[in-house]
Amino acid sequence: MTPTRQQAAQDSLAEAISDAHILVTTGAGGVGKTTTAAALGLAAAQQGRRALVLTIDPARRLAQAMGLDGLDDAPTQVALPPEQLASGGELWAMMLDMQTTFDRLIERHATSPEEAAAITSNRIYRQLSSTLSGTQEYMAMERLHELHEEGAFDLLVIDTPPTRSALDFLDAPKRMTSFLEGRLLKLLLKPGVAAGRGIGKVVGAGATAFMRVAGRVTGMELLQDLADFFRDFEGMYDGFKQRAEEVLALLRDPRSRFVVVTSAEPPPLREARFFLERLEQEGLHAAGVVVNRIRPEVPRDPSDAGLTRAVRSLQEAGGVDPDAPEHLEPGSSDELALAGALQLLGDVRNLAARQRRDVAAGLFGVEVPALVEVPLLGGDVHDLDGLERIAGTLLTGRTR
Amino acid sequence: MRSSAPTLEGFDALLGPHVTIVTGKGGVGKTTAAAALALAGVASGRRTLLIEVEGRQGFSRVFGTQPWDYAEREFRPGLWGAAIDPAESVYEYLELFYGLKRVQWMMERSNALDFVTTAAPGLRDLLLVGKLYEIEARRRPDGRRAYDLIVVDAPPTGRIVPFLQAPEAVTEIVRVGPIRRQAGQIKEMLTDPRRVQAVIVTLLEEMPVRETTEGITALLSAGIAIGPVLANQITLPRLDVPALERLQGLGPDTLRERFDGHGARMSGRTAQLTLDLTAAHVARQQYQAGLRAELARTGAQVLGLPLLASHTFGPEDLEVLADVLALQVGEDGPRAADRLDATGYATVAGGGV
Repeated sequence: MTPTRQQAAQDSLAEAISDAHILVTTGAGGVGKTTTAAALGLAAAQQGRRALVLTIDPARRLAQAMGLDGLDDAPTQVALPPEQLASGGELWAMMLDMQTTFDRLIERHATSPEEAAAITSNRIYRQLSSTLSGTQEYMAMERLHELHEEGAFDLLVIDTPPTRSALDFLDAPKRMTSFLEGRLLKLLLKPGVAAGRGIGKVVGAGATAFMRVAGRVTGMELLQDLADFFRDFEGMYDGFKQRAEEVLALLRDPRSRFVVVTSAEPPPLREARFFLERLEQEGLHAAGVVVNRIRPEVPRDPSDAGLTRAVRSLQEAGGVDPDAPEHLEPGSSDELALAGALQLLGDVRNLAARQRRDVAAGLFGVEVPALVEVPLLGGDVHDLDGLERIAGTLLTGRTR
Repeated sequence: MRSSAPTLEGFDALLGPHVTIVTGKGGVGKTTAAAALALAGVASGRRTLLIEVEGRQGFSRVFGTQPWDYAEREFRPGLWGAAIDPAESVYEYLELFYGLKRVQWMMERSNALDFVTTAAPGLRDLLLVGKLYEIEARRRPDGRRAYDLIVVDAPPTGRIVPFLQAPEAVTEIVRVGPIRRQAGQIKEMLTDPRRVQAVIVTLLEEMPVRETTEGITALLSAGIAIGPVLANQITLPRLDVPALERLQGLGPDTLRERFDGHGARMSGRTAQLTLDLTAAHVARQQYQAGLRAELARTGAQVLGLPLLASHTFGPEDLEVLADVLALQVGEDGPRAADRLDATGYATVAGGGV
């Protein structure tokens, strides 16, 4: 990529850091979403914005570096040296507690405290709220909406949980509402079913057979709990649905942007691609793609053949048979050290080329607003210096 | 579960239990490692089944086959593959226990399947683990086990214990019926070290190593035997500290001259980059050696899988990985160790990073 094009490609991400109200990082598990979210927040604070990073499960040392010692569901300010920040810039961070958010949602929509208590103590609810796929993601968005309404921050950066499929989180509100609307629910809400008797009189023959089977497989008590749960839930269904729509509307706002995070390997790239396509379909705004842990690009000199020949020649000069390099001790002579350095150059060059090819192939044909490569750093990023380097790369596209 | 002498010797030690559950943090290469273990299993003469439970089609991609489904198919001599799926399991389960083939259409209509497979992952996991139990227990007509080795590409470490314990968890809300009875038998299988072991795949990096140590604790307290930990993507060691010191003593200009003298012509910029890379390489090795020692302190044996620096990654690379695994337990893999770059891989195998 030429410098000008590279610069142009950075701009939409740099722009998002300075003017978006919400940034959502998303991508496969293990690609560095949390670190990227933290670096985006830091970059915004450096620009003089008041930024809050909501994270799910940061590495312990990264959490400590940001002053997060545990889950407490309230923003904490990250202590930053003032010379790093433009005036007014602040970085805050908090860890999300999904269960608390869900409980609060129930309390808000329940018609009475008794109803809320009945729901939150129902074991089907406990099971559902922690494991219904997409719920975690949805709760993250719900908390985001609360913080947006409170209006205390210029920028909210939110990290999404690693999802098997990046689509889960966009589907969550819909899935939850369609599940609540579903036919099974209607079946269970029939009073006869709730009471566990007189089934045949109330519902159709198909349902009777189903209930009999389900009852035999699961035991009737489970059905009783389910029926109770849905009956309690029915009263707050409209509020719930409306809230889900508000959350989606907030995410569709042009000042809400998505940052798709990936590593340079085919499986996460596939998820990144699906996600970009999905964002477009849903009318959501992508700010860019961050490719983490990519190896530095290595110049094409010397040629592969020249490199291989030189390694052999150096090994021979170092007294080692290149075809059977047993017990190679690279530190034992200059020749062997030089041979090792060239082999390393070859390894890194191959890997760097493979990664760039995988990125190009993985994103071929999709609209990518900005592509930022974050190089593989020596160790893991677990301090503010490391975050600052990444923040610089996200803003300028250049590594420091 | 091994308290002393954690050295694995031979295929029987590596792949002894009937079922090997492969887990690890997301992104560490579980699928690749599971495929390499299965190829090592085939090389040992075991009838091997590779199972995918999360519907990602990871194996069909790495092996370059058609997409996998519920049917167990032999796609290489001695190696079968299947992607098991909860919806299919529901039908099979109901048919097996109730002779309920005819209700299938009703379930589809009543939306119940959505509930079973999506809304209640506990039930979903139960069905998957139940299917695994069925395969492990299955016998051929002559009485031998259907497969000698079953390798499962399982959910990540964070979900593995709830996944395996789904049958038990369900008995907490289901008080009667066949699920409850079967849950006991499944637990018996999972906690028998001759039948099931868990293999955790990790990278030598902070978060995956932390998840690994937490995963070991969680699996052990669930009574599940821990097999080796596979440290994936280990960089081939090209240089050590004395070599780095020599190179730094030479400096970029001399480096460039010496390379040139052996036929590798490079710019001053590339020479400087090479020097930078060597320093980062040695620092990374030391960092990773520390993490490897941390893993070894858990009592599990750590086996290494190299990061292959070839231009592409394909099915033949899986065989190289299987070779490296075999080498580390003193056996020959699918292609045998003589095809390997002996120095580098022996170091990966030998515990140095």
